[in-house]
Amino acid sequence: MKLQLTKDKTIEIKFPSGGAKSVRDITGIELFATGETECPAIRLVYKKKAWHIAASGFAKAPNGDLPMRWEDTPHQPVWEMPHEFTSPHAALAVNSPMATFAQSTADAVVQDMMTGLAAQDEKSTAGDKSQPDGKRRFGIKREQPALPAKKPSAQQENPTRKPPFPGAGTPVSENGRRFVVRPMAEANFHLCASLPEFQTLWLSRLLPEGKRPTASSIQVAESALMASILLQPEFIAADGNALAIFMRPEATYLAGYKKGEPVLWRRCPGVGGVLAMRDAVRNTLGLDEELVDSVLNESLIDPRPALEPFVRPILSQLSLSLDYLTSKHGLKFDHAFLMGVGAGTSHWSTYAEESLHLKLVSPNPFDGLELDKGVDAGDASRHLVALGAAIAGAEVTA
Amino acid sequence: MKASSFHLNLLKQSETLSSSPVRLRIMLPVGALLACIGLLVWWGVLFTQIVLTKTQAHSIEEDLATKNSAHAEAIQKRDLARELKLQLEQLEYYKSGVRSIGEPLAKFAEIVPLRVQLKEMSITPPMPQVLMPPGLKVPLFGPTENVETQKLVIAGLTTKETPVVSLMESLETGFEKLVTSERKINSFKQDNAEIDGRKLLSFEVEYTMPERRFAK
Repeated sequence: MKLQLTKDKTIEIKFPSGGAKSVRDITGIELFATGETECPAIRLVYKKKAWHIAASGFAKAPNGDLPMRWEDTPHQPVWEMPHEFTSPHAALAVNSPMATFAQSTADAVVQDMMTGLAAQDEKSTAGDKSQPDGKRRFGIKREQPALPAKKPSAQQENPTRKPPFPGAGTPVSENGRRFVVRPMAEANFHLCASLPEFQTLWLSRLLPEGKRPTASSIQVAESALMASILLQPEFIAADGNALAIFMRPEATYLAGYKKGEPVLWRRCPGVGGVLAMRDAVRNTLGLDEELVDSVLNESLIDPRPALEPFVRPILSQLSLSLDYLTSKHGLKFDHAFLMGVGAGTSHWSTYAEESLHLKLVSPNPFDGLELDKGVDAGDASRHLVALGAAIAGAEVTA
Repeated sequence: MKASSFHLNLLKQSETLSSSPVRLRIMLPVGALLACIGLLVWWGVLFTQIVLTKTQAHSIEEDLATKNSAHAEAIQKRDLARELKLQLEQLEYYKSGVRSIGEPLAKFAEIVPLRVQLKEMSITPPMPQVLMPPGLKVPLFGPTENVETQKLVIAGLTTKETPVVSLMESLETGFEKLVTSERKINSFKQDNAEIDGRKLLSFEVEYTMPERRFAK
């Protein structure tokens, strides 16, 4: 139990069964998803010895954009969730261009921590020079005289200072960024997520105190995505050994699991996401946006000429990952998960079987969970990140 | 499978806000304050009760002391009243024990025959009462016996027996207050005195008088 004595002073009383493990009612919310005007949300409740989806839907987006500079953080909106999502806890999964989520070695993590926000600032500025000044200026604006003086970063004070490697699951602030790491099933590798400090603070105060829900977890969307298949029956049946392709609107990711622990996470280089795939189908076949789903799902028109050029590079990357997991970890797969595609999964599976002799399965993301009355599982692929955030936030044990 | 391996939570514990509308940082001091106030009130009530009880005990003690003397006085008065009542009762006994013999004595002269000369008419004194029985410190107020019996002795001279018999017969009716039917002739004999040359006879008759009762 956490006891806030004053605004600045907090004491924490730890009970034997306390902490995140005691979370039995949590709402996972995805924020600022590309292509979504509202926020996908899922309420996960543990009752009758099973996890239930008590509510699934979309919440109105907070009144304000995610801040991209320290100066924007004073504009703190107050966000209230619809009644069906008023659980005690909320796990927020944020899509931020300034977020990072990667598989790294300890040295790389420490290097990232030393570089902090400055590197991200430089990287973002260099990578997007077409944007106006206000949009390009990420991070701490140290040189802007009109702003109130800020404490110089630790790196400026002591450029050679090497920050200590953070403990697993313990968030640390370093050089204007918030970092958290978790060890992977492979030695010396860690999953590392980071967000700018001001974005984390902004998110932490988004849901007001004293009203349900309040944020108990802030994750980057990719991190939540990785946890989204943990309750899948096929994943559990395979003893937690799995290979998965996660399609996001703007990118495609490959994830490997070994005995339920993360062993691989990588973004497919040079490949876009669902939006790119749909664009390819639409442009190649000369379709309207409304017809893309029906073309991908039905056999009336063969989308192969449009879909195959998009899928092949992904399957090549999948093949590399498969080889890596087989040679390095001795894992063999006859199928892989394909999540977040929406339409056209059968074509994907056909291509994979042709080239890799690997079957791609696309289960409903809500499989393995009990659905309460009124919950619609039809739109489940849009809730993948929210579901993953809730599963990770509740620290579910399957 | 543990989802905790995938929980890369960027939120620090110190930043976690409570979703409960009851905020402990407010409610705890308020609760503590209310508890302190409650304790103070309780102690205040307790102290007041102690003071009140002490005052009450003191006043009861004072009252008791006053009532003790009043009680003693009342007991004394009650004893006195009882004593007076007993005295009054005794007086009532004496009152009811008064023997009214004036009227029969007034009539007595009328029934005395001509040939009878009364020499003596006396009432024997009653038996003395034991008003101080052994072991008693204070004498009794009244007689120990409720019934007192006296004798009326009529002595006189006569010329012959007949007048005396006539006198005795006269006394049988209308003189119940003076004598009863119980009588005893103590003497009837020749006397030395003479009248008209005739020797006179002396007589003495003892009548039992009606019982004198000391009762209500």
